[in-house]
Amino acid sequence: MFSDPPSEIVQSAVPLVPGYVRASGGIRVRFAATDRRTQAIERAESGGYRVRFPRIAETCEAVLINTGGGMAGGDRMGAELSLDAGAAAVITTQAAEKIYRSQGAMTEIGVDLTLGSGSRLDWLPQEMILFCGSRWRRRLAADVAADASLTIAESMVFGRVAMDEIVERGFCHDRWRIRRDGKLVFAEDMRLDGNPAGLLAVKASGNGARALATIVHVAPHAEQRLDEARDLLALASSECGASAWNGMLVVRVLSRDAQGLRADLVRFLEGFRHAAMPRSWG
Amino acid sequence: MSELQLPLAVWFSPMFPVGAFAYSHGLEWAYETGNITDAEALRDWLATLIERGALHNDAILLGAAHRAALQGDACCLAEVNELALALATSRERRLETTTQGNAFLLAIRKSWPCAILDLLQGSEDVAYPVAVAVAAAGHDFPLDVTLDMFCLGFVSNLVSAAIRLGIVGQSEGQRVIAALMPVLRKTGHKCASKDVDDLGGSAFRSDLASLKHETQYTRLFRS
Repeated sequence: MFSDPPSEIVQSAVPLVPGYVRASGGIRVRFAATDRRTQAIERAESGGYRVRFPRIAETCEAVLINTGGGMAGGDRMGAELSLDAGAAAVITTQAAEKIYRSQGAMTEIGVDLTLGSGSRLDWLPQEMILFCGSRWRRRLAADVAADASLTIAESMVFGRVAMDEIVERGFCHDRWRIRRDGKLVFAEDMRLDGNPAGLLAVKASGNGARALATIVHVAPHAEQRLDEARDLLALASSECGASAWNGMLVVRVLSRDAQGLRADLVRFLEGFRHAAMPRSWG
Repeated sequence: MSELQLPLAVWFSPMFPVGAFAYSHGLEWAYETGNITDAEALRDWLATLIERGALHNDAILLGAAHRAALQGDACCLAEVNELALALATSRERRLETTTQGNAFLLAIRKSWPCAILDLLQGSEDVAYPVAVAVAAAGHDFPLDVTLDMFCLGFVSNLVSAAIRLGIVGQSEGQRVIAALMPVLRKTGHKCASKDVDDLGGSAFRSDLASLKHETQYTRLFRS
């Protein structure tokens, strides 16, 4: 599935961490609508990954937990979520995911979302924090029934803000493919290789941005909600914009201020979804 | 370019009826908001688009479509086209690639027909780089020359838009094109051997520009 691009990082002959201790795992959950509410009817966990279902929420909420506390080079994680007809679920993570410096091996994440007829999924993980020297790749694939509703909100922060880390070395490639009724409707490949902070410095790229977020909403009435989405973005401190076409709505956000971007994201998502963020968002 | 490939010069000239003059690819927003004020800023902005933006992806898609067309693989070609359309980052980008792709194909069918165009029969909308690739394959134009011409056409069109916006004058515009020539050649050359697995870029604020352009008050351009 993955082929490694050439590493720009000088690899030491003796890795600090041998390959066999690297973590590999993930979760798989299948949701179904029951009489009263949506429930997880199948669940599988492997490696250091867990999924919990807090009973506090009215809707079915699932929280992904990485007991390893972050991901190093060579670590792999897979999340597979499927919703049967009419099911509704909100998925988030317990904390921001940290991608540590790698000695050359790729950190790999795979996300597969399958939405059956009339189902609704809000995929709202907390941000990824990319450390200097991290090498990270994700494949996100969604297969959405024609009358289902999917909201994906993903954000990433380059470097640890508290220590003012500059990500001057690293690799990231984030590939999204969203199919609706079998047809590819949204594809995106974000790729930063070499000196991410340097690439992000230029005006047509980030103009010095350190945090990025993308929201994609695929649903029967997605396009009609464009004005509402723009109104919700009007107060944002980040640079952001929205567009709608082809049965979907897309919002892009970028900022030099990671906390400001998070606040903008929360305000938008709460307003757009008419619901509070999952509790783990704090 | 050999004598036999001369039609490529026509296909990417401003007189070819694809309506390229109507699109600024977000430059109009970048200009109005003070992101591009002079020749140097214009050159830098365009260099990002060429190396890490829409043009880089389009060049890879053109190559993939060209190979599929030469092999007569309608199925693979339809997949590349579907991917090219789905990669549009906004409503206006989608409009940019489909209106130019469809118009290009229509003009080729009418005036430069070739049998290979039938490979695209199942596709309602055709992305611009895919339409170019199939026509070039149908006329036996090699990929490298086609890519060079396509990339040059993209940049010339945006420099022309920048001149009309008043960002640069005529001769400054020419200097920007001349300065970008090495980057253009490098990207064309690199993308010739790349495939759809190599797609990807980081022209985030160019993508944002195309979103923001939708709500811009006065607009000369459709994108």
